[in-house]
Amino acid sequence: MSSQKTERLINLTLALLATKRYLTKSEIFKNVTGYSGSPETMERMFERDKDELRSMGVEIEVKGLDSLFEDDQGYLIRTETFQLNGNEFASDELLYLTMAANLWHDSALSNDSKGALLKIQSLSGPIEFNVFNSPIVRDNENSQMLATAFEAIEKHKKISFKYNGSQRSVEPLGMFMRSGFWYLVAQDEKVIKSFKLVRIEAKISIEDGVFQKPEGFDLTNYLKKYTEEEVFEAEILVRKDQAYSLRSKHVVKEYDSEWDLMFVPYSYEPEIIEILLWHGQNIIVKKPLSLRNSIVSRLGEFING
Amino acid sequence: MVDNAAIRALRTMDLIPYILENPGISIGSLAVKFSVTEKQVENDLQLIFMCGLPGYTPYELIDIVFEDGVVSVIDPQVLDKPRRFNKSELIVIALGLQILIEINKSKPAQLAKLQALSKKISKLGSSNLITFNPLATNSVFLDLIVKAISEKKHLEIQYNSLIKDKKTRRAIDPQSLYFLNGNLYLSAFDLDVRSDRVFKVDLIEDCSVIDFKDHNNSSEPTKLFEVVLDVKKSHRNFIERNSSVISSSQEKGDRFEVHIQISNIEWLKRSILSNAPGITVTSPSLFASELVESANSVLALYQA
Repeated sequence: MSSQKTERLINLTLALLATKRYLTKSEIFKNVTGYSGSPETMERMFERDKDELRSMGVEIEVKGLDSLFEDDQGYLIRTETFQLNGNEFASDELLYLTMAANLWHDSALSNDSKGALLKIQSLSGPIEFNVFNSPIVRDNENSQMLATAFEAIEKHKKISFKYNGSQRSVEPLGMFMRSGFWYLVAQDEKVIKSFKLVRIEAKISIEDGVFQKPEGFDLTNYLKKYTEEEVFEAEILVRKDQAYSLRSKHVVKEYDSEWDLMFVPYSYEPEIIEILLWHGQNIIVKKPLSLRNSIVSRLGEFING
Repeated sequence: MVDNAAIRALRTMDLIPYILENPGISIGSLAVKFSVTEKQVENDLQLIFMCGLPGYTPYELIDIVFEDGVVSVIDPQVLDKPRRFNKSELIVIALGLQILIEINKSKPAQLAKLQALSKKISKLGSSNLITFNPLATNSVFLDLIVKAISEKKHLEIQYNSLIKDKKTRRAIDPQSLYFLNGNLYLSAFDLDVRSDRVFKVDLIEDCSVIDFKDHNNSSEPTKLFEVVLDVKKSHRNFIERNSSVISSSQEKGDRFEVHIQISNIEWLKRSILSNAPGITVTSPSLFASELVESANSVLALYQA
């Protein structure tokens, strides 16, 4: 790797950032240190430098300076596209930004967390120690795929992976986290589906080309189906002085000397069964009958192997 | 990542506003912060000495002071502010803010500020394609716990143990807080039982700072039980949720053979029963019979 090239890239960025007007190539070649050789060589160097900076997210603006001469183009980098504004965030906001980015510092998103923290601390200076003892997110397995999935969603790139034993090639539309697990929302053969990230085998591969996002797709609307579920109520008996975790969430009424009565709302039967069976002999389901029967049949099946 | 010229150029430019806000920082700290070697930081700083604005007189060059292993910026030229957040950094911040909003739901002042900040970040171009549903976390004592960790204070908590189904008071030395699978956990050294413990924060019902109790954090050796389970594919949530205690898991047709090493056998009993009949015990057989007996006792309540 050449230090000269790095130096030239820095000097080019600084010159384009400091200028108030568009700089022509000849001005750049004359004034920015590092460009030398024949006009063709300098031209090639500049084109490569410009492409490399752009590939790293630096927005170099181009403007035709003379409508008659296409070659006479000017270049600049707008400060607001390159740098954060010093007054953009108040000091308490910088603290919250630090806490927000720091949440991910030990996760699969640690590179982005670290990058964001460096920039925040380049505005705020050292941050008080407390922030770094605030909670962090620990990954469950397979969250290494997050960065690839995020990239594919942002760039509208198709991805392929193995899921439930079969190979899928899908158009990723969004991601959401539910009960601590990441789900990928993607169009698979014209149907929009959710894929639990932890069930994706091995890795996600980004395919060539981009796709058109389906018209009218909105992640928030799509997710409503996860929250707008029908709510049922279970009437249960809870043994006195037992099942404290349920008692702390639901109201109990005196039933008899051994049991209290409790009403527990639920939407998804397997989920409520899991919660109730956790308490073993300290819970009896009275109603609905379907829930009571499910518990009896599950226990019977378990006992009989 | 391969350190090509463009990557190095941007990192070198990132150093300047960082040093400007953190004057007198050591080369060692910069190396850690920027995930490179000290030698690389020194090389980058040597390089930027030579850079500046056209004209390149001493007035137009970036000016830094670099001696005795510490560095300060005298003149950053135009590099006085950090680069804007890139798309992935904005996603990380936006997701972090969503979590902070959830855990500060009960504090109106903080909540309003966080919501306003979250809007600001989304205007900067963070994605609305990545989101998550609310976490079930009651965080009344979160600030107190964070403060206790920072100030190395001990806490007394009243804990509603899901596993023992008991409320207990415990003196703890809090170590760290983390989210896993949507729950917020506190990792701590339990001063009474002299062992490391993990507590679900929303099951802490009371919490106060207590006088420091001198102790060493060496735990008593924990006895681990080896259990082999048969888990139906329909119940693989159990495997996904508890990967930290699973030593191996092998797919066999429509089920998994799962080997677990565990100290908390009561937790495993409750987990198996609550997933009945999706999980059964293959070995040890004594443990398998114990569970069948427990299931029989529950079933008897329904047949009475």
